[in-house]
Amino acid sequence: MRAPVAASSTAVEQQGGTAVVRLKGELTIPHARALRRQLRALTRRPHLREVTLDFSGAERVDSSGIAVVSLTRRELERRGVKLELSALDERQRAAFERLGRAPAAPQADADAVPPGRIERMGERVLAGLEGARAFLGLVAETLRQTAALLGRRARLPAGAVSGQIATMGADGVPIIALLSCMLGTTIAFQTITQLERFGAGVFVADAVGLSMVRELSPLISAMILTGRTGAAIAAELGTMRVRSEIDALSVMGISPVRFLIVPRILAITVAGPALTLVSMAVAISGGMLIADAVLDMPPSAFWVRVTERVSMGDFAHGFGKSFVFSWIVGFSGSHLGMRAGGDASSVGAAATRTVVTGISLIILVDAIFATVSSLGGHP
Amino acid sequence: MTARAAAPLLECRDVSVGYDRPILEHVDLRVEAGEIVALLGGSGSGKSTLLRAFTGLLPPLAGEILLFGQSLYELSLEDRRRLLQRTGTAFQQEALFSSMSVEENIALPLRELTDLPGKVIREMVAMRLAAVGLSGYGPRPPASLSGGQRKRIALARASILDPALIFCDEPSAGLDPSVAASIDETMVMFRDALGLTLIVVTHELESIRAIADRGVMLGRGSVLAQGTIDELSESRDPTVYQFFHRISDDALGELPEAPAASEPPAAPPPTAPAASVRDADRRPGTPQA
Repeated sequence: MRAPVAASSTAVEQQGGTAVVRLKGELTIPHARALRRQLRALTRRPHLREVTLDFSGAERVDSSGIAVVSLTRRELERRGVKLELSALDERQRAAFERLGRAPAAPQADADAVPPGRIERMGERVLAGLEGARAFLGLVAETLRQTAALLGRRARLPAGAVSGQIATMGADGVPIIALLSCMLGTTIAFQTITQLERFGAGVFVADAVGLSMVRELSPLISAMILTGRTGAAIAAELGTMRVRSEIDALSVMGISPVRFLIVPRILAITVAGPALTLVSMAVAISGGMLIADAVLDMPPSAFWVRVTERVSMGDFAHGFGKSFVFSWIVGFSGSHLGMRAGGDASSVGAAATRTVVTGISLIILVDAIFATVSSLGGHP
Repeated sequence: MTARAAAPLLECRDVSVGYDRPILEHVDLRVEAGEIVALLGGSGSGKSTLLRAFTGLLPPLAGEILLFGQSLYELSLEDRRRLLQRTGTAFQQEALFSSMSVEENIALPLRELTDLPGKVIREMVAMRLAAVGLSGYGPRPPASLSGGQRKRIALARASILDPALIFCDEPSAGLDPSVAASIDETMVMFRDALGLTLIVVTHELESIRAIADRGVMLGRGSVLAQGTIDELSESRDPTVYQFFHRISDDALGELPEAPAASEPPAAPPPTAPAASVRDADRRPGTPQA
């Protein structure tokens, strides 16, 4: 604010139990802090019965001045001291009359008792259950709409799926290829240095092929998919929710699930596994290059070992997982986006939660896959 | 207020505003301390664009805007910010921060721009909430309020620093009559009790008549007329006449060429804006329903 023009100063005259405060200058925001300090000191004086604020020397009074006076009044009244205002001009009187009748203290909601710890815990459990129920409802509705689509009883918005595949899949190829290449070469380097000590360097092909195809390619693709696509779905749907666009679809009688979610789920079902294939191919090529450079192992020999060691079952394991991971990403993004609240921060929260939930679920499901397949006899 | 000297709070000198092409040209106006000025005009007449120029959001294409006697767009960013701190703006879309509660929204300018103690800030916020009739709504998130309540909170936030000049963009548009009336009363109270000046963009006829000391009518790319509301409602300019007498373009039919500029207010009513039968009862000179 502006520098004080004429610093307000007050003179206090006390005679017995009666004090008169002669206010001077402006009672405005730049001076309010000083005024508050002076009046507060006054309220602590002993043996007061009555205080008069004399406005004859006061100039402009704004909301802050009124607030300081009404705070002082309450503090004095609590001690049984009366506060009088005198010599107000017409505008000052109007200001005090119109603004000064604030209810005592900022009143909290009387009926809202802050919930206890157990109550909050219970609320969170219930909210979690409700969220899970809504999530399953969304999955069921998506399956139903997809079935209707396949039975030609419903149509998709024109061009929706192909556009989505382009942004989810094709645009993601460079980053997936880069990361997978680095991953493949790193694994190749690491295993070669270990295996060379036993003269078993050729097994690098087994290591790269098996680890990428069974585990790392599906996982790295799903991670990138969560960060790029899952968050984007959540933010997009969340923004549409905030701007009432989803309500607009509903009131038109158009299913938001069919219009918005089915195309995204179909697109991610194509894009996710496709990216995983890209990742596998690039990672194995990377390993191949390193084996060639470090071990003088010709790429053809590398490839023969990979095809001998990585069975169709291993490939199906990895490729199958990529479908499940894609659905996890697609459905969690859709679910959290659709449930975004009415404000800007809820969109950001939906995107963040999608990434965290997506990655956690993907690793959990991956662990389940590993356990089940090892019980089934695979290494 | 030091600015209450001779200089007007806001002055436009031959201002043109617009984005690529000008929407308004040759705007000249002055706003004096302690008045409520209504910026009037139909949809798309440039009211909100002009308001954006006043509030430092849109540099004019030509001309000069003086706020408190200083040329707004010739100041450094820091000085302009300091000047704008003496104004308050209530946006048409409220622009309340959704991550904060209602009271945090209202307290924000106080917390950021003043050194007031927390207790005084809380008291001021409670006073403002009471003034706009929403005591007890402080802890709520803005998203839980109705449109009219949010408009009132926006007005409370815009006025919390007691700025010398408040801009309100359609403060009562789309609200029910009683809520609109209470917003009007709040604005008049700010003028009478706190001596604030308000520039209100609106096209609500009733509210214009209730609050405005003066009106500035925009249309056809410039200022059509300005003066007291009575003067404006007697203007001979066809657009102004149409606005104040609620005549649609269709009902107006084909007008003769518009008069050159705003005529003296005491001039006789315009000669028949239309020849159609159904608006005959709205002809000037006949009593209004």
